[in-house]
Amino acid sequence: MKRTVDVSVPLGPIHPCFKEPARVKCETKGEYVLSAEVELGYMKKGIERIMRGRPWQEVMFLAERVCGICSVIHNMVFIEALEQISAISVPERAALLRVIANELDRMQSHILANFSYCYTIEHETLGMYLLDVRERVMDELERITGARVTCSYIVPGGVRFDIRSEDVLHLRANLAAIEGEVTRYMRMFESGPLIGLRSKGVGILTREAALEAYAVGPTARASGMPDIDRRLRHPTYKTLGFTPVSRTEGDNYARIMVRFQEVLESIAIIRRCLDLLPVGPIRGGGIPGIGEIAYSGEAPRGELSYYIKTDAAGRVVDISIQTPSIMNIEACCHYMLKGVPSLADVSSTFVSADPCIACTER
Amino acid sequence: MNVLQSVKNLVRSKSIHVAYVDVGSCNGCDIEVLACLSPRYDIEQYGIYVHNNPREADILLVIGAYTPGWEEKLHTLWEKIPDPKVAIAVGNCPISGCLFNRPHSLIDPPVSKHIPISAEVPGCPPRPTEILTAVLSVAPIVFKDYEVSKR
Repeated sequence: MKRTVDVSVPLGPIHPCFKEPARVKCETKGEYVLSAEVELGYMKKGIERIMRGRPWQEVMFLAERVCGICSVIHNMVFIEALEQISAISVPERAALLRVIANELDRMQSHILANFSYCYTIEHETLGMYLLDVRERVMDELERITGARVTCSYIVPGGVRFDIRSEDVLHLRANLAAIEGEVTRYMRMFESGPLIGLRSKGVGILTREAALEAYAVGPTARASGMPDIDRRLRHPTYKTLGFTPVSRTEGDNYARIMVRFQEVLESIAIIRRCLDLLPVGPIRGGGIPGIGEIAYSGEAPRGELSYYIKTDAAGRVVDISIQTPSIMNIEACCHYMLKGVPSLADVSSTFVSADPCIACTER
Repeated sequence: MNVLQSVKNLVRSKSIHVAYVDVGSCNGCDIEVLACLSPRYDIEQYGIYVHNNPREADILLVIGAYTPGWEEKLHTLWEKIPDPKVAIAVGNCPISGCLFNRPHSLIDPPVSKHIPISAEVPGCPPRPTEILTAVLSVAPIVFKDYEVSKR
């Protein structure tokens, strides 16, 4: 059948709504989007090429800079993979501190994603409220790990800094404030009539399509796949006993709501960690040795996998990284953007999948 | 100094439009630029607006270590910005390539080889306050009496 295409509209690479450069090319019929494709290649630095042949002490910092938004999880997955290779055990206090840092990072990433969405649908008030809450989370991250973005908190056999008792008090007080504010903004998002018009039923990703596209993370969980969460298989998270959030609608609204609910879930996980936190050392010993492993963890955007091969001196011989955003970007272009009612919804649908171009291209 | 120039100085001191372009960073500096928008740092109280539209921008924040995808594109972007204009390098990447500047990487730092950079904010990533300070300290030097100094 011959397709009638009125015009091919490119969005980006410099676009007011996109944080990072990506080009979305839409074939439209009037305002109706027939198909879309994404053009990447603006951020390729070749991190994996730099990593090969370097000692793990250097690769650790490179791994963290694969993605600046979710740097803690990159650090955590790389170091835990090294620990699995060399059978290094982690003290219980350090394992719980890792979870606290990781969940704080997940909270700020989700709040930032929701800010981007609210900013894109031009609900700037809610967006600014969310950025204000995010600064509280960044404060806590800085107080515990010593840096706002690239913290290098996790090292083989433990973590770098201990949490002091006054930090625990401050963290608990701040968590209560964050919980109150996020609940309030979630209710604003739920009940806003104009937000509903822009979000409900737009950019639908059905469960079948999500399975076909291998969507991961909150994007898949919003399409009714709760068991996709890799945290369920992590030894420390297993002891904390949490249930992953999921919704069944699969539209923009569901994706943003899943992120809001996961922020609240993360707050509950951090509280449980603080309750369980035993007294003890934060660093065991251990030297990374020879071996190879494929290891994955749950990043804020979905499943993150590392394949690492090391030699006896702890140098990284071979490494390959699979980041979650590439699957979500493909799912977004092939399924969500198809049949979007207007061009104004293209940018908001693209942002709702929370694409991270830096970690997609590395 | 004529009246027109003093009016221009007054207007330019209160409306500085900022665009940011990421030419291959890790995203850490992008989110610190976004954090400048937040009510805590509140970049708009100084009359600085982040629109990310090069055609109405006065200041271009360059983030990242210049990847091959930006060859020619960054220069085209720089020429689209109307005069008076200024580029600020944010983070270690556009200054030196940071830790990506190793053998076998694809990047080509510093960015000052490709477009004129007027100010640099080192840090991996710099704090939002540092970015804000850089923008605020560069703006009056460049935009005040621009027509007089050009002559």
